[in-house]
Order: sequence, then C-alpha cells, then structure tokens
Amino acid sequence: MSKRWPQVRWVFLGLAAVLLVVYILAQRQSVEVSYGQSPSDGNTVEEGSAGELSGADVPSIEAMEGMLRRDPVVRLPGSIAHWDPERVDAAAVGDDVRILVAPPGLDEDQRDRVKDVSNATAVVLGTEVTGDGLGVSSDDLPAWRAQFTVGDVTSQLVALLHALRDEELPNDEDVVTWRAPTAAELDAVAADLRTDGLHVAPEATLEEVPGNAEEGALFAAFPQQPYGEPVPEYGPALAELFPDTAIYVLYGNWVEYHGPLAGEFAEVVGASFYGQFADRLSRFAYPQGNVLHAYLNRVTDVRYAGLFDRPLPYQPFDPLRVALPALPWLFAACVLGFLLLSARPVFGGARAPRRPPARIAALTTLAIEMSALSHHPALVRGIGKLQAARQALADDLPERQVRRLVDDAESELDTAARSLGRADYRPRVYLAGGIS
Amino acid sequence: MTWLIWVLGAVLLLAAGFGSVYLPRLRARDLRRRSAWADARAAIDSAGVSRDACPDEVAEAERLLRRAEHLAAAGGGAAVAEEARGCAERADRMWRVAAGE
Repeated sequence: MSKRWPQVRWVFLGLAAVLLVVYILAQRQSVEVSYGQSPSDGNTVEEGSAGELSGADVPSIEAMEGMLRRDPVVRLPGSIAHWDPERVDAAAVGDDVRILVAPPGLDEDQRDRVKDVSNATAVVLGTEVTGDGLGVSSDDLPAWRAQFTVGDVTSQLVALLHALRDEELPNDEDVVTWRAPTAAELDAVAADLRTDGLHVAPEATLEEVPGNAEEGALFAAFPQQPYGEPVPEYGPALAELFPDTAIYVLYGNWVEYHGPLAGEFAEVVGASFYGQFADRLSRFAYPQGNVLHAYLNRVTDVRYAGLFDRPLPYQPFDPLRVALPALPWLFAACVLGFLLLSARPVFGGARAPRRPPARIAALTTLAIEMSALSHHPALVRGIGKLQAARQALADDLPERQVRRLVDDAESELDTAARSLGRADYRPRVYLAGGIS
Repeated sequence: MTWLIWVLGAVLLLAAGFGSVYLPRLRARDLRRRSAWADARAAIDSAGVSRDACPDEVAEAERLLRRAEHLAAAGGGAAVAEEARGCAERADRMWRVAAGE
C-alpha cells in the first residue's frame, strides 16, 4: 500500500460529511407531507394573455335592439350557440321570446353593451345564457359535454324560460347524438397519433402538446362540432386502437380522457374542472391549448392527491429526488472506505517478526567467556542488562529501548574487561573480531 | 429504512474518530509504561548486584533501593517507573562509589 492511502481516507470522510449535510438539507423538503402539495404548475385558466378574446365585435345597443325588434332571434356574427327551436318554443308557451346570440370572447365593454340590450328575453354570450338578471349554467357532465361539444344551449334556454315564469325547472334532455367514427375518419386520426401523438383537425386551435402532459399521452383535437348532426365519438374508438395509452380528445372546449384508469379519475377531473371553469369557458374563446393545459393540471392535481390509492403517476424531474435514494449508499460507502483506511494506521498491521540484534548474542558469548575469569560485579550487572534487553525484545518494546539496554550491558562488560586487564575482552575489540 | 444508514454511518464515523485518536494514544502510553518499567527493573537488578558486591553498608543506598523495590512491587504508570529507576540508579552509584569501582 502506498503512503497516499491514509490521506485518501480524509477525502472519504469529507465526502461523507458533505453527503450527510446534503441529506439533512434535503429533509427540509419532505418534513411536511401533504396531499395539498401537488406539483402542478398552478390551477387557474390563464387570464388576460390567454387568448380568451376572440376579437369579434358587436353593433351598438340601439342597433341590436332594432335587430331584435325585427327578428325574435338575432345571431351576431361569430356566435357559436345553438338550440333545438322546437323545445325552446314549447318552453316559451306562446310568450314573445327574443333571443340575442353574441359571439364568445368579447371584451368587457362589448359584453356590457350586449347585456344592456333591453328588449332581449335571453342573451346567449358564447354559450352562457342570461336573461332578466338570471344566469343559467349546466351542472353535470352530459350538460357540459353538449354545451362545449356542439354549443348546445337548449337546456339552459328552457330552464331560463321556466325560471322567468317561476315554474319548476324541467329535467335536462340530451339533444346531442353520437355516432361511431367511420373507418376513414378514424384512420386519419390514428395515423397522426402514431406519428406525432397529436392530431389537430382543421379549425381546431390546439397547436402543440402542452408541456405538462404526461409522457406518451395522445391528443386529438377537433373544433366545436356542427349542431344537429351526430357527432363522431372518437374517444372509445381510439381507446380500442391504442389500449393502455392515455388519450385526450378535445371537441372545442370540451376535453375528455380515455385510457387506463379512466373510470377512476376522468369523471372527478371533468366535474371539478368544468364545475370551476365552465362559466369562463362558455363566455370566452380560449384556445384549446390553454384549456387542455388547465385540464391536465387538474388531472395532475387529482391523481397526485392520491385519492385512488395508487402510485403517483407524474413527478416532475428533480435531480435531488433522483439522487436521494443513492445518497445513503454513497454515504455508507464513504464511511466504509474511511473506516477501512483508518483501520490500518489505528490497529497497525502485523509487523514482521524482529530479529534480535546479533550484538546480544555476541555480548552473551563474551560474558560467558569472561565469567570463568572475572568476579567483577560489572560482569554480573552486564549479564543482567543483557537479560533485560532480551526480555524487552520479547515484550516487543521499541528498538531504542533494546539498544539502550544492550549499550548499558556493553559498557558494563567493558568495565569488567578493563578491570580484568584483558584488552581483547573489551567488547569493541571482541565484537570487531567477527562474531557479529 | 435508509435513514438507519445515516444514523449508523454517523455513529460509525464518530466511533472511528474517537477510536483513531484514542487507540494510538492508549497504545503509546502503554508502551511508554512498559519500557519505563523494563528500564526500572534492569536498574534495580544492577543496584542489587552492586549492593552484593559492596563490602560496606550504605544506609542511604539501602533506603533508596528499598523504595525502588516497593515502587516496583506496587506497580503504576510511567512516572512511578521513572522514579523507581532514578532511586535504583542513585543507590547503584552510591554502592559503586563505596566499593571503590
């Protein structure tokens, strides 16, 4: 192992500390967990610059009043509402009913002008029905579907006429008929969906897949459908063609979801979305892209809310969230690396067995030789020191210690040799003789 | 469950920190103590030899060696061993001087 390794462990320790800090800081994000923290980007239909104004114009109040005096029903250019005249006439019961139909997406000034027309029994602004201070709005999915798919306001008009006479409101009747799309129609749509995931019929205002759409979802946008004709019902047909795929079908301002788990959330999303936004959608001319964007946000809200006990379908990409699962393991690896690299300096590897210095053996031989000739205490002391040195070696005491004891022994033996008068027994000479 | 890793890791790191500081220190102290006692015992042995070789009685040296032997018998840290060695060496020198070496 190179000398660098003990330094590398500090890198591991630093990394572990950094990971710990990142982990602890990340905890701040998830201390409060609530169903209210949906990651959708806002849940309002975008206002102002959302393109809800159609740019249509309306005549002056007097002009409109004059038109209404001539005709019982006045349709201003650009208006989109339709109704079943028979049912409305039946509801009118012979009263003189004058209906002013204005286009959607008027600015405030134009809307005030339309509302100020005094001789209108009912004013239909876009598909919003008002009259004599009363406003009528749909309250269930079939009614909203009819209202936004073909611009049908029959039920609203009938309800308004009943309300104006203080009569009990009749039940809604669905006047929109649906048919399966022909093979040619379906093929055209399916081909687009296969290539782009997006089909935009002529006159539909959807331009691109909204940014908040889930991956792989298909989008088919159609304009508001002609009134009085059966409407091709693409949703179920496409769901059959593309099983297990999220499909969003738009007719005008109507968005419907077909695909997996549709039964679980599509109705909730539709009811809450149109319950909140039907008023604005009926009055203004939002581009389909904006409507779809808001609808998808609602889908995210509802699915994220965990109402259906399923794993969360969408989670916006967040590098920290992606890295977080790996963080503990990185941290553990760093800790382990630090511990392993620390273990060596701390516990110390097994050292190679030490060789006792040859000096000990030589001095011992010298002491034995001298012991036959000398009774000097220095000799005994020297032998004692040699024994102590051997013991120190056995006890694994440091080299320095052993050397000092051997040095002591040597000087004692030197003293003994000098007192004996034998220079050849002086350790320096004796050792130089070649035993070591 | 992964939070356990953080707790365990942090505890391990703390333990490793303390360990890496205290273990070498502990070992060094032990080594110091053992080598000091080895020196002290060697010195006491030498002093014993010098006493036996000395014809005269040296009361002060006698006292010092006894003290060193008591300290060695009682045991203790490096400081005690150091003192025992000091006593034994002083006694040794006294006897050697008395013996005229």
